[in-house]
Formats: sequence, structure tokens, C-alpha cells
Amino acid sequence: MARFAVRRLAGAAAVLFAVSVLVFVIFNVIPNADPARQLAGRTANPQLIASITREWGFDDPLPEQYLRMMQNILTGKVISYETEENVDERIVEGIPETFSLAVGAAAIWMFFGILFGYLSAVRAGGPLDRGLTVLAVTGISMPVFWLAAILLNYLAYELELLPAGGYVGFTENPLEWAQHLILPWVTLAIVYVGLYSRVLRSNMLDAMGADYVRTARAKGLSEHRVMTRHVLRNSLIPIVTLFGLDFGALLGGVIVVEGIFNLNGVGQYAYESLINLDLPPIMAITLFGAFFIVLFNALVDVVYAFLDPRVKLGSPAR
Amino acid sequence: MSAGRQGSEPLLRVSDLRVAFATEGEPVRAVDGVSFELAAGEVLAIVGESGSGKSVTAQTLIGLTRGPNARIEGSVALAGRELLGAREAELRRVRGERIGMIFQDPMSSFNPVYRIGAQVVEAIRAHRPQVSRGEARERAVELLDSVGIPDPQRRVDSYPHEFSGGMRQRAMIAMALALEPQILIADEPTTALDVTIQAQILELLRRLNRERGLATILITHDFGVVAEIADRVLVMHGGRIVERGGLDEVFYSPRDPYTRRLLDAVVRLDRAPPLRPSRGEPPLLEVSDLVKHFPVRRGLLVDREVDRVRAVDGVSFSVARGETLGLVGESGSGKSTLSRAVLQLLEPTSGSVRFEGREIAGLSRRRMRPLRPAMQMVFQDTSTSLNPRRRIGQIVGEPLRVQGVASGRELRGRARELLERVGLPAAHYERYPHELSGGQRQRVGIARALALEPKLVIADEPVSALDASIRAQILDLMTELQGEFGLTYVFVAHDIGVVRHVSDRIAVMHEGRIVEQGPADRVCERPSDPYTKKLLAAVPVPDPREARARRASSVP
Amino acid sequence: MESRSPWYLAYRRLRRNRVALSFGALFVAIALFALAAPLWASDVAHTTPNATHTTETVEVGGEQREVVDREGGPIGPLWLGAGGRFFLGADGHLGRDEMVRLMYGGRTSLFVGVTAALITVLLATLLGLLSGYYRGWVDGLIARVLDVVWAFPVTLLGAALGLALALGGLRIGPIVISGDSVWVPILIIGFVYAPYVTRPVRGEVLALREQEFVEAAVSQGAGPLRIMFGELLPNVLSTLIVFFAISVANSMLLESMLSFLGVGVQPPNTSWGTMIAEGFELITSSPLLTVLPGAMLLLTVLAVNVFADGLRDALDPRAKRRLEVHAGQTEPEGTAA
Repeated sequence: MARFAVRRLAGAAAVLFAVSVLVFVIFNVIPNADPARQLAGRTANPQLIASITREWGFDDPLPEQYLRMMQNILTGKVISYETEENVDERIVEGIPETFSLAVGAAAIWMFFGILFGYLSAVRAGGPLDRGLTVLAVTGISMPVFWLAAILLNYLAYELELLPAGGYVGFTENPLEWAQHLILPWVTLAIVYVGLYSRVLRSNMLDAMGADYVRTARAKGLSEHRVMTRHVLRNSLIPIVTLFGLDFGALLGGVIVVEGIFNLNGVGQYAYESLINLDLPPIMAITLFGAFFIVLFNALVDVVYAFLDPRVKLGSPAR
Repeated sequence: MSAGRQGSEPLLRVSDLRVAFATEGEPVRAVDGVSFELAAGEVLAIVGESGSGKSVTAQTLIGLTRGPNARIEGSVALAGRELLGAREAELRRVRGERIGMIFQDPMSSFNPVYRIGAQVVEAIRAHRPQVSRGEARERAVELLDSVGIPDPQRRVDSYPHEFSGGMRQRAMIAMALALEPQILIADEPTTALDVTIQAQILELLRRLNRERGLATILITHDFGVVAEIADRVLVMHGGRIVERGGLDEVFYSPRDPYTRRLLDAVVRLDRAPPLRPSRGEPPLLEVSDLVKHFPVRRGLLVDREVDRVRAVDGVSFSVARGETLGLVGESGSGKSTLSRAVLQLLEPTSGSVRFEGREIAGLSRRRMRPLRPAMQMVFQDTSTSLNPRRRIGQIVGEPLRVQGVASGRELRGRARELLERVGLPAAHYERYPHELSGGQRQRVGIARALALEPKLVIADEPVSALDASIRAQILDLMTELQGEFGLTYVFVAHDIGVVRHVSDRIAVMHEGRIVEQGPADRVCERPSDPYTKKLLAAVPVPDPREARARRASSVP
Repeated sequence: MESRSPWYLAYRRLRRNRVALSFGALFVAIALFALAAPLWASDVAHTTPNATHTTETVEVGGEQREVVDREGGPIGPLWLGAGGRFFLGADGHLGRDEMVRLMYGGRTSLFVGVTAALITVLLATLLGLLSGYYRGWVDGLIARVLDVVWAFPVTLLGAALGLALALGGLRIGPIVISGDSVWVPILIIGFVYAPYVTRPVRGEVLALREQEFVEAAVSQGAGPLRIMFGELLPNVLSTLIVFFAISVANSMLLESMLSFLGVGVQPPNTSWGTMIAEGFELITSSPLLTVLPGAMLLLTVLAVNVFADGLRDALDPRAKRRLEVHAGQTEPEGTAA
């Protein structure tokens, strides 16, 4: 266990380092993005820009600039070029919104994905299976941001069934918190519901032909027991690992949804920063996102070793 | 072995059983009118080659073949009660309680994520929900003990992958008998096991039959197994029963021509080949102290070697020109690794391999290339030894193309010649591997090995995956080719009967070392090493009288 | 007797799958729709995708109507009312012909999707073969690089690269690609998705490598190139084909998302993603401008996904066989030799 933890930590650190360097390099390739000009703002003139450049060290060699930025990020002192506010603080402010969105959507997609996948597999070949497959494939093919726009327009603006964006804290008013989040949750979840139901269906169909299922039947177990305790149980293992990977990578997926529904979470901050070519928040958020991906990748390996006794920690789950 | 109560109602009566499966093309009639009876306490063996329908028959008895694509007709009556059309709920009561079943591969037949004990408990409580978990667990421990699993208190909490193959099969038997059924159906229970383990499992089944009067239906393709355990025998072919009778009856006076052919093919393997005179030349192949270890790496940050798998642990032997050396060992003995290390398909860890006097161990790929034509290999698994995306002709001609020996029309011509030489029509050039049977595919493998006119051919279990009747054909082919082309063989197998049939000399491998080697007859009849003795004693003899005599003499 | 190659058998299985075939036909229809763009633009609509008609009027059933009214609202679908001009109306206050834009947008979206998928699969094939064949440090190195790319949230990576390259263009040696070229999103998407296809390809190559026919090739003296391309590649080809189809679907979705964010396809090029972004601004007044390109995108991706499913079933019949094994029965044993 210790060996696994140490290795993973070392690996994670290496990956995060590489990611941060990559982002920094990407953005210093842009000729137009002169951070000094951004900071100078409306009253920019050559002397101001020059003095800002000197003061902030923008003409220092790149490795030095990189180190300085990393230091700032890790100690929570990064300042945005565009808005001059503290990046880390703004990220922290956005966490509850993003977290609410992510966890809610995840709960929805896991519930429906597993339910539909199970029903599809148990009634494979029949009309229910075919119908659910149509839904699933449509879900996978859905452009999420477009769906968000459509739902927002028709359900919120036109029919006024649900609020048109914005966020209400859970502690303030749980009902409104949920109401504001229903559309974003559904939008985000649809793709994953489709994906997970198909993966589960496929795994279960494979499992149904397995030798140990034949043994279970030969023992005289009821069909229900065979399906749940053997087929489903074994089929869920890859689903769990998939979930870990998908949830870890969710930060990328929420950017557009938060933007459209105006949820003021970390994703929306990312979106705004991209538009404004604001490097510090982009770096910080990218690192934040990468951290989660790496963290969940490691968690997935641990959980997988726990679920499948054949697997020893340290061997890759994929 | 008890022969069952005579004259009473049969426990199981099967009448005109028919099972057909729908496929992409024509429906396949797997079972085509099978009728037989099973008396209480008797052991009935159903023997046949692959495709004979024996497994489907067995599984249909407890309704495991039911499904949207299966059409099942006929009657299966258990103590008078009809099972075939019974409702699922009724069948479930029969499964486990009246009829228990074990399967071929105990590893995949257990659910890998649950402990063995839990799976046995599950079987118990499915039928007796009033039994508490604690009681069921106690019973599971008892069961494991009764099938000879040591330390059952601890083992009951182990996972399937933590058991050895033989232990797993014992556990399967224990689980199948948990509710004390009257009948046990065993579908190829020992096929996946080593021969020494097989002997133990057969002994266990015999004991259970004797002590509890457990009626047993044993499905197998191995006549040796039948001779060791059966009271009565059914021979199946093409979905039908072609021969039936008592054990001695079927073995010594078979009436059906197919049965006779099968028995011939089997018995023949037991006879020794004529001795080939040695010629006193320097050996073609000399292996000295060959070692192949696989490192096991572990470490905190950087992988360091902490242990080694000693697959080949200091092996020495030589092979004279024109002779056949048989290399026999069970799984894990290292024989496959050895053959690959000799051919430099794996790089030896240390030791020497001299071919025609020249050292080849550890040569780089480039230096090995021109030497390769002289030493070729025939592989075991015909479904993975031929590239499924290539035509047969291309596969056979490939060595010539790789070595740049021929191309174009000449290549095709030579490939066709080779196909004919191994007994396949030249027209098969255009076919794909999946269109050929196992035996035909093995012929292709042999043709491929011969394409470059090698001097040495290492055959790694070339007939293990084939049916008995085909085995003889392939072995005959190989012997013919040896004479015609002056080949030298190293014949690797786990079946000492097969090895004896073709070898001049035999080397016995165990845990990476050769424990005994010498002339074939001497090793088989007067073995000196204890492992060799154990191996020979475990091989089931396809001759009931001999089998009984052997058992009688080994009882203390 | 006619010998049946695995490919021919797959083709026959595909032919029997009517659902997959009809969706495949749908895709072809959409592709034709997109390819007909220049024809429609010149002969029917008499305009170009970027030509604005802000102050113009168009004759419909005898009366003149403004293309863009005083509040900046665009004219709705005229269908054939004006001889095909503004068939689907105008797009926003710039008054461009929506139908023409939809067709040209389709061209771009399809071109980006297919080409990016091609790049992804080619990269994945190369890396997967090298990784799986050589194993050792080659595999380790490739795996590390993939890990880094994998650690990036896909959208962020695509957006970051898109932004950087849109502004600055790309210079690889003598090749210069300007920032608003359609090749920028193509290359970005192609690279970003490469790790997700490389992993499974690598896995398959690793498994294949252990099979005896590869050993046979080694025993004949075959070198790495012959083994990788002669033995391994033909056996992963069917997987690659399915992945290609799936990648087309995913690439189209990613392109549209990036274009929506403004970091994908750049003006003057149009894609369905940029059209959705433009339509979004007017969503309450002219929802059609958002619905249309999105619906086209959904339909296209759906068609590709269903066809990809059919391809997978045809190429890997084990998938279909699962249904037959539902009751736990074994396969009928094969014919004896």
C-alpha cells in the first residue's frame, strides 16, 4: 500500500509539473497577449506598459517567470491580469457551484445509466431494449451546449417552468438551489446516461455468457439472484472505474454548461478567462482540473483493487 | 466401484432427446435423438470427440441450454418426474438438491470476486433459507474437508484465484454436493488439469460414488478416464449414441465401427515405436546449463528485482541428427519456455545452445536471421498460431518471403506443394484459417514449419488440442515427414503416452529442471526418478482390466 | 467453393443490419447536402455564406420585405417563397442566408470532423503499434506522454490550444498555418483525442503480440516492421475502423463546442458550432437560428454513432453472439476434423 501511494504521488507530481509547463508554454507563444497591456487597462500608454513590464518582471527569462507564477499559484497569491483580483480566491468561491453541479449530475447519470443498462440487458433484444438503446445513442450524440441553450430557451424563457440560470446556495434555500440546477444537471447528465447504460448493457451481456453464471444457475439460484449478485455485481466494476475517470475529468465538461446557465462556478471563470486571454486564472484552473484528474485516476486504481480481489494494488486498472 | 442396484427403477430416464440451435445459417442439431438411463449409484460415462453433443446433452438435463435460440424436444424424467418442460421454478429446486453439476474449468466457473466459502453458502441458503449464515458456513467447512482440502477453516475464506487448479475443482465438487444430491453430472471435470491432479480428482469421484452411492454422469473425451471410473459407457458421435454397454463390453468388444476406430486411435498411442539405430555422429543440438529466469520487479520508486521466476533452471540435453527427443512435463514445468529459449525466441538468461556446433545463445536478431531456416517450430494452439487475416497459402509461403528465398509465382508454387505434402488439397491455398478444422490447421502449421527446409523442428504440444482420432493422423504425418526430409524433432508434450509413441529418447521436466532422461522404453518402464514414477502412475490407462489391476496393487 | 475472408463475412453481416445501413444512408445524405453548398449558393440563393444583406429587401408573393427589420430582427424562413433565396430565413442582423450558411457550415464541420478523426486514428495506430510491439522504455515513454495529455481536461486543452493558435498561427519548420485556417482546429482535435484511442489500440496490440502467429513470424526471421505492419496491423484494423467512426462523431462534437466558445473554427469560415453561438445571442427572438444547426449536428453525429455500432457488430460478431448465450447455453461444438 505504501509503495503504491509513494509511486502514485511521485507520478502525479511529475504529470502536474508537465501540465503546468505545457500551459505556460502555450500561452507564451501567443504574440498578442501582452500581459502588461492587459494590466495597464484603458489608460495604456507605452511608458505605463514599460514600467509594468519591469515591475512585474515580464521581460525576465521565461523559466523565471514560470517559477514565479507557480510559486504564486501554490501559495495563493496569484493575481489576474485582467481583473486584478486574487485568482485562488475566486476559484474557491466558485467551488460550491461547480461541486453542486457535478455531484448532482453524477448522481442522476449513475442512477439512470445503471437502471437503463440493467433493464436493457435483462430484456435484451426486446422492444424495451431497443427503445432504451435509441435513447442512449441519442444521448451520446447530443451536443451538450446546444441542448443547454434549447432547454434554457424553451423550458425557462418560454414556458417559465424553471429559472433561467443563476445559482442559489443550498444553505440559503434548498428548493431553489435544486430548481436552478435541474436544467444544468439534466444537460450535463444526458451524455453520460447514454454512455453508461450502453457500457453496462454490454458488460452484463458478456457476463451472462460467463462460466460462473452457468455455475450459479446450476446451483439452483433464482434468476433474480443470478442477475444481481453475479451478473450485475461483476459488471459494475468497470462502471465504477469509468465513473472515477469521468468524474475526475468533469471540470472540462462544466465550462460550457456553467457559462450558459450563468452559474458562476469555476467553469464559468475558466470560460471568461479564456476569452480575455487571462493567463493566471487559466493556469490555475487547468492545474486545478489536472489535479482532480490525476487524483481520481489514483482513487480508481485503489477502488478497483478493492472491488476485484484478483487485482493487486499497483497494477493499472485499465 | 459399485455397479448400482440392479433391477430397480432407473433414477434418470432420457428419451429421444433432441436439441437444435438456431445460427446465422442452418440450425445445428447438436443432440439428435439420445436415449439412456441412469441407475442409482452407478457411474455412466458419456464419451465422444468435440462436436459429438455430449456436453450439450449433459447441460440440457438440468435445463441450462434453454434459451431463445434453442429448440429442445424429448423427455428427461427424474424418478418419474418430467424435467424437460418443467417451469423454471421447479427446475431450480432440482438443480443442486437432486442433481449437482461441475464443469470443466474451475477457475472460470467460480465467480472471481466472491470467496469460495461465500459461494458454497450461497448454494446452501438458496435451497434452505432457514439455515443461518453461521450454520451454512460451518457446513461449508465440513464440505471442503470432505473433499480433501487441507486447512478448510482458513481456506473457506479464500478467493478462487488463491486456490490451485486441483483444489478449485475439489471445491467445485464440494459445492455441487452441498445439498446431497443423488446425481452428479461432471462435464469434462479433469480436462483442464494436470495428469497427476487428474488422478486425484478421479480418485475423489470414485470414493464419493462408493461411499455415498452417488450416481455420476461423467462427460469426457478421454478413454483413459473412462477406463478408470465408469461402470457403463455411452459413445456419442454427431449428436447420437453409437455404442452403449458395460465398461468391459465397450472396450473389448465394441460393435460400432466408429467406436472401434476411436479405440484403435487411442490404444495405439500406448505402443512404443520401433527403435531407430543411432549413428554415432556429433549431436545436431547441444544444450548446456540453459537458464531462463523472469525477474519480478518491485520497488518504492524505481522497480528493482526482488525475485525471479525460475522457468528454466539449468537444463542440459543433446539431440542427435535424425532422432526424436520427447520432452514431457506438466504445466509450469518450463517446457514451453525451454523450447522458445532454445530457438532464441526468448533470450536465455545464461547457458549455452549449440546448433551444428555453433553457439547461438544470446545472438542478436540480425545474426540469428540467416540461421533461422534451419530450426523451426510447430505450435500448439491452432486457433492462435495462424494469422486469422491471412490466407492459408500466404501463411505457408510467408517464411520464404521473409527470408527472401522465393517470390511471386515460384513462391505460390512451393506453397501449394507444401500443402499437398502435408495432405491438404492445393486448392486450400485460398482459404482462411477459420474455414479449416483443428486438424487441418495443424497440418498448415507443419507445412509452414517445413517451408524453409529446416534440420530441426521443435513441436510444442502439436496434438494436445486435437481429438484422439486426429491425433494419430497428425503424428503419423510427422513421422512420415521425418523420414522423408531427414528431420530431427524435439517433441514437447504433457501427455507421456503421446510422447512415448514418437520418441527415441525422453527427457522428463519438472519445475525447470530435467529430472530424468534416457531411451524412451527405459524411462517409461523402469523410471528411476520419483517424479517420473509419480507421473507414469497417474496416467490413466485406456484399458479397464489394467486400470483395475493397478488400483488393486496400489492399495496398501 | 468460394472462400470467405473475414472481411467478406463482416460485409455480409453489415448488409443484413438494416438499421445501421439506413443511418449510414442518412449520413451520406447529409454529406451530399453539405457538398451541394456551392451549387445552392450560386444557382438558387444567389449569394455567398458571408455576404450580408442588411439593407436589402426581397420579393415574396408580390410584396417587398426587409431582410433585416429596424430592430435588427431577421426575416423568417421563406421556403420557396422567393425562389429559394432565404429558404430558411436570414441569420441575425447581418442578414446572411441561413440555408447557405447551414450548408457551408456542414461542409466545414464534416471536413474538420473526418480529418481530425483520421489524424487521431493514424497517430493512435502508430503509437499503439510501437508501444505494444516494443514495450519496454518505448512503451514507458509513450505512456508518460499520453498520461500528461490525458491529465488535461479535454475542453480546456482544446480551448487553450485553440486560443493560442487562432491568434498566432502555427509554424512547423517550413509549413506555416495561419491562425484562422481550418487546419488549426483539425490538428488540435486530432491530437487531443489521440490518447483516448491509443490506449485501447495499445492494449489490443499487447494481447495480439502474445499470440503464437507472431512468434511464428519471429521464428522465420521477420523484423519489427514486417511484424508490426504485416501481422499486427491487419488484426487491429477492424478495431481501428470502428474507432475511426466513433472519432468522427466525437471530433464533430468537440469542434462545435470549441467553435461555440470561439476557440475553434474562426471567421470567415463557418461551422455549425459557430452558427449555434451566433444563434444563441438571438435565441429568444429567433430560436430557429440555434435549433437548426444544432439539430443538423445531432442528426449527423447520431447517424455516425448508429453506423459505428453496426460496424462493430459486423466486424466483431462476438457482440451479437452474446444475445444467443443469454440462457447460459454453450455454443454448439465445432465440427470435428
